[in-house]
Amino acid sequence: MVRYVIALGLALATLGLAACGGGDDGGGGIEAETLQPSDAKGASGKVTWCIGKDTSGAFNTAVDDFNQQNPNLEADLLELPESADIQREQQIQRLRAESSECDVLGMDVIWTAEYAASGWLYDLTPVVEELEGAFIPSTVETVEYEGKKWALPFNTNAGFLFYRTDEVPQPPTTWEDVYAEAKEGNGLVYQGERYEGLTVDFLELLYSAGGKVLSDDGETVEIDSPETREVLEFLQKGIEEGAVTKAVTTYEEESSRRAFEAGNATFMRNWPYAYALGKESAIADDFEVAKFPGYGGNPGAGVVGGYNLGISAYSDNPNGSLAFAEYLTTQPVQKEMFLKATLPAVATAVYQDPEVKEEIPFTEELLKAIEQAEARPVSPVYTEISEAIFNNVFEVLQGRQSPDEATSKMASEIETALQRF
Amino acid sequence: MEGKAERLPLPRSRRRSLFREERRLGAAMLVPSLAVIALVAAYPIFYAIWLSLNEYSVITPGLSRFVGLDNYVDALGSSEFWAAMKTTVLFTVISVGLELVIGLGMALVMHEAFRGRALLRAVVLVPWAVLTVVTAITWRTMFEPELGFVNSTLSALSLPGADVVWLGEEGYALAVMILADVWKTAPFMALLILAGLQGIPRDLYDAAKVDGATVWQRFRSITLPLLVPAITVALIFRTLDALRVFDLPYVLTKGANGTETLSLIAQRELVTNRNTGLGSALAVLTFLTVMAISFLYIRLVGGNIRALTKEQE
Repeated sequence: MVRYVIALGLALATLGLAACGGGDDGGGGIEAETLQPSDAKGASGKVTWCIGKDTSGAFNTAVDDFNQQNPNLEADLLELPESADIQREQQIQRLRAESSECDVLGMDVIWTAEYAASGWLYDLTPVVEELEGAFIPSTVETVEYEGKKWALPFNTNAGFLFYRTDEVPQPPTTWEDVYAEAKEGNGLVYQGERYEGLTVDFLELLYSAGGKVLSDDGETVEIDSPETREVLEFLQKGIEEGAVTKAVTTYEEESSRRAFEAGNATFMRNWPYAYALGKESAIADDFEVAKFPGYGGNPGAGVVGGYNLGISAYSDNPNGSLAFAEYLTTQPVQKEMFLKATLPAVATAVYQDPEVKEEIPFTEELLKAIEQAEARPVSPVYTEISEAIFNNVFEVLQGRQSPDEATSKMASEIETALQRF
Repeated sequence: MEGKAERLPLPRSRRRSLFREERRLGAAMLVPSLAVIALVAAYPIFYAIWLSLNEYSVITPGLSRFVGLDNYVDALGSSEFWAAMKTTVLFTVISVGLELVIGLGMALVMHEAFRGRALLRAVVLVPWAVLTVVTAITWRTMFEPELGFVNSTLSALSLPGADVVWLGEEGYALAVMILADVWKTAPFMALLILAGLQGIPRDLYDAAKVDGATVWQRFRSITLPLLVPAITVALIFRTLDALRVFDLPYVLTKGANGTETLSLIAQRELVTNRNTGLGSALAVLTFLTVMAISFLYIRLVGGNIRALTKEQE
């Protein structure tokens, strides 16, 4: 027995030395090739666009139109699953295998840092700088990491307060009032399940309260603050006092929308996509969208959502990919996406379009909300940071953890995540 | 004596070498299948063990460092791991136990001759044929708060529990998960036990009847002992499956409210957080747990089978 242990130990030691030897190379800054705006001109060949499921048909229409207008190029849509988490997993599987299958990547705004740091993207700084005048500034922020720009903004998003016009004549302007009125009325629903959505809903309040997750340089954890404790207490009290049903701890976007449409809530926090669908539901005439409420005397600050378009470092056709990605950010396509799929445009001009204004009556509020919205922490370990947030917020909602405990646990877990090498 | 010696055509040494040759041939014929097993089973296992001894950079691709058993220390030192272990074991014991009882009952009913037996056997298997993910989504929808089938039925009948958030409470969430698993896999258990039942000779029962044994006595002394091999196989299959359960909690609760299983945390570290080292360590620990339990099974119940076959001889 002893002999085996020694042998095993020796074997492991050798393997260890081998690994150390291998581990020394690599490191340093991000190595990436840069694409210039001129690279897109005269491009030809095939381009595959990998993005989440085309539920509205708008992505396919865009691909068909592009192919008609660009006879030299042939774009193709590869639909990934509907869930953002699984889209990311599937893209990462391909990127780790250095597969050239995906050329243009539809990336949730929170993946930019991770993909860029891993060297999976072309540096698009010159391209974005030429085009960015047309985009809403907060959307451009989501493509930045380490001073460079890694993707073209494609669509954006910000949370909204939906309210029942037959129950509340005037929408409240602060979260404190929303909760008070929800308690009197039929309650508020939001995304309280243990997942990314809860991080977003929590950050909206935290940002409005003036709190932060990381320092501006992304190096230190700043979530252990009185603001965090206060927001957690506020959320916990909401459930305890009945302003929010306990059921929200199982709600995602779709389940909260169903509850609201079934008449089970006076207020709902959700993304704009719920508007068009709600207008086809039983409560079509009885709800509207309000300006995002403020908190603690501050104006409301949303969290930027949406997707960007990155170009895979393993693409066989980066020039053609750039041509296609640029096409997707042009006004007519952006307008089409906005109207057909309620994917809010990143191009400011689209919000002035009379047709858009008529179809989506809250465009002005939406533009304002997106302009004021802040980005989620930019970090290559974002998923772990978010996990630390939603896990601990969730335990507070469930009453299993005090806001104080949750705050310090969150901070230490984010600290651990930042220590990853 | 003489005649016997004459009938040995070969000298002793020649016989030995023939035997050795045959053994060598046997070993050679085993090589291809062993190579295949090594390729499909051993390689990934050892690769996972190797991965678990390293830490892989999530920031710089390709960068790694050897950390020895650090990942295991981290895993075993986290309350998350032990909570997942507790949940997994609890889930396995309760769900497999219920499946055994229900499956046995179903098998006994299906074994009786009656009209429409073939149809019943086919129908019973339907839940087993449904994909686990689909099962999970169905159960999740049924237990959706307020709007789901369960809560609206309870409220229509003015029964208590109409306002319980089933998947949002510790305990209830695990109960729903167990229920969904039992619903899906009891038929599988039933099928395996039914196969065992059909292997029991009829005349044993006839003899017992002649001896005046009651129904219960026949079940206790004939059916049950002779079913042990079939039940063992079914139990091993189901226990190993249940210990690795992933899709049910992933869909039902994403692991919230005391439903986080070993596979779920391993997958999260491996895939979502890209902590290849820690994730592999968790996977290896899951693997070891499963191995330990299957050895235990074979030791405890396997010995039983051997004793039984000897008795029959």
